[in-house]
Amino acid sequence: MTKDEVQGATEEEQAQSKKGLKKQQKEAEKAAKKAEKQAKLAADQQGSEEEDFAKDRYGVPPMVQSQQKLDRVLVRVEDLSPEKVDQLIWLRARVHTSRAKGKQCFLVLRQQQFNVQALVAVGDRASKQMVKFAANITKESIVDVEASVRKVEQKIESCTQQDVELHIERIFVISQSEARLPLQLEDAVRPDGEGEEEGRATVNQDTKLDNRVIDLRTTTSQAIFRLQSGVCRLFRDTLTNKGFVEIQTPKIISAASEGGANVFTVSYFKTSAYLAQSPQLYKQMCICADFDKVFCVGPVFRAEDSNTHRHLTEFVGLDIEMAFSYHYHEVIDSITDTMVQIFKGLRDNFQTEILTVNKQYPSEPFKFLEPTLRLEYTEALAMLHQAGVEMGDEEDLSTPNEKLLGRLVKEKYDTDFYVLDKYPWL
Amino acid sequence: MKLNRWDVHCAFGISALTRIFCLISSVLEPGEHLLSSNMSMYQVKPVCGSLLKPDLPTCMYTLPNIHGQQGNSDLCSEHALQNGEVDPAVKALEARQDEILRKLYELKAAVDGLAKTVTTPDADLDLTVSSSLSSQSPSSTTFTGVTNLDTLLGKDLGALRDIVINANPAQPPLTLMVLHSVLCQRYRVLSTVHVHSSVSNVPPQLLSCLGPRHADSYARQMFQLGFTLIWKDVPKLQMKFSVQNMCPIEGEANVARFLFKLLSPYPSDAALATLVDSWVDMAFFQLAEGSAKERAAVLRALNSALGRSPGSPGRSSPWPTWRAIAACCRAALPPLLPLMCSAGSSPVRTWATSARPSRFCSEWSWDT
Repeated sequence: MTKDEVQGATEEEQAQSKKGLKKQQKEAEKAAKKAEKQAKLAADQQGSEEEDFAKDRYGVPPMVQSQQKLDRVLVRVEDLSPEKVDQLIWLRARVHTSRAKGKQCFLVLRQQQFNVQALVAVGDRASKQMVKFAANITKESIVDVEASVRKVEQKIESCTQQDVELHIERIFVISQSEARLPLQLEDAVRPDGEGEEEGRATVNQDTKLDNRVIDLRTTTSQAIFRLQSGVCRLFRDTLTNKGFVEIQTPKIISAASEGGANVFTVSYFKTSAYLAQSPQLYKQMCICADFDKVFCVGPVFRAEDSNTHRHLTEFVGLDIEMAFSYHYHEVIDSITDTMVQIFKGLRDNFQTEILTVNKQYPSEPFKFLEPTLRLEYTEALAMLHQAGVEMGDEEDLSTPNEKLLGRLVKEKYDTDFYVLDKYPWL
Repeated sequence: MKLNRWDVHCAFGISALTRIFCLISSVLEPGEHLLSSNMSMYQVKPVCGSLLKPDLPTCMYTLPNIHGQQGNSDLCSEHALQNGEVDPAVKALEARQDEILRKLYELKAAVDGLAKTVTTPDADLDLTVSSSLSSQSPSSTTFTGVTNLDTLLGKDLGALRDIVINANPAQPPLTLMVLHSVLCQRYRVLSTVHVHSSVSNVPPQLLSCLGPRHADSYARQMFQLGFTLIWKDVPKLQMKFSVQNMCPIEGEANVARFLFKLLSPYPSDAALATLVDSWVDMAFFQLAEGSAKERAAVLRALNSALGRSPGSPGRSSPWPTWRAIAACCRAALPPLLPLMCSAGSSPVRTWATSARPSRFCSEWSWDT
């Protein structure tokens, strides 16, 4: 190379190197930063790998597909009581909430109507990574937890199991849920008034119905369905004890059974049939066939085009039919006794469910008398006349009058359930 | 006849003028003689007829003859009053006057008596005055007075009149059970017992405390009165009748008073009514709920009251006192029995043993 060339080259090189220096400097900075980061990560990883002694005590295992049969007993949340203190138990529940606080993570685990507080704390059983993992578990995920039951000095007001809490040793996510849920269960359980007052959200009925599966997980919905089941069970048990026979009647029938209500028509092969408005015809057939006492629990279909609190197109009908010997009061006594037994059964066995429903839908306690109060129509008329209502002696009760009469009877006898006998013959 | 040339036309009353003319003509005609002696001046034909005699009154005033004919007595019914005989109408009048005066004097005496009590507040009521005022004597306060359900409970609206009593099964109202049995003797009473949902376990005796179910209980209208007893978790006994017109009545003593009035009216004599009220209060507050000292004091008072005349006011209200005694016997048998059975002729003991305890009282006083 000539000197000139070299000189030119060096000049170019010099020019280049100025730009290049800057570029290089920038690149060098970038590289340095990257190296730093990587070093840090490496250090962290190393650190975590070093510290994570609890690696096998948490995680997301593969989906349960009946691969193995574990000899493990899962305890129910509702059974967690001070009797189980210091026991190591396995439990499967949904994560209701999770909240991290420094070296601890508080979880509330929920199972149907019951929930319990659980705690993951950094210690000899749990590592920092485990706590972090627990804090990151999404709501409504199903988890399997091995924990020891510990007694608490101060009652945990926000949970149903108030005397104990769980100290988690192992936690596995069996079914992970989405991070963003369409509705929050806490909001779905909140009473409407409270939501408006404190500015917190309550969930629309439309949203609830669109995501019914999640909505049914709320404690209130669980309680409502349990009460419904209780009513049917008490109805069956009481009547069976009285010697009634349960029958199942057809619901697709060839002609409308009741004149008052409207029918739904269904296409039946080449012709059409109707959905049963009530099992009355079949019950009466049974009485004529010497069954003497029958009852029927089944759906009833009425094409009622009314949008009121007292109309439904499809509902579950609890129907009774019996023959009496001399006086129709025998039937009234039997029916009222059945109702009273149902009320007593609910009062005695379903108190937790009633209170749960009351939290979201407050109401007055239900009152009744045993034996049931039976008033005659003339007495009802006298009470209404005294209250200032003008109606004739042969007139039927209108809906507002009926409601007023209910209030008057409640005031005098303190009962929500009574029988009105001897209506006027029209 | 000679013509008179005098022709007089006048517009006055004809009668007077006719008279004048007649007079003139009558004067003139005989005057003819006078004139004929000389000559008659005028001669006028008589315009009117012969001389009319005017009907002139001769009497100024007419009076019936006071010395009238006594003989015409067929027509008049009154006869002269002889010496000393008094007209029966007058007699009746006098009698009425006497009656009115007598009533006035009585009223004056009553008002004086009342004025005395009003002006002198410490003065005791003059019993002679008040006893004459009161229509009922003390002995007739027991179950003979006429009571009308309509006046007490309001107009009959064609339906059963139901008295609702809410009682706590831990404190059964024994007085009311006794009053109920008496009511059943007097009226047709439909009795029902209910258990409220606020109470879970009620002993079977309490469910049948009002007796067996009436055969006609399916037709409520056939009864005059309804007695509905509800065993309920209430702090104090409560009675409801007409929710629109009456507030609930609380306390066994007050409910007992109400039911008692259905049987017999309270004595209208204020003193007696107050005495009865004080015995009722003493029975409930001191005898049933008081300490041992208070109970002993009441029993002594009862002793002295019954030791007086048999017609003493203390006898007129046996029911609440009996119940109270029964209740204390149940509660504190040992110290009270000697007290009640002391002294062979103790009025309390004789009275207590003579008044037969009802079926219910015997169950509750001595069995439990």
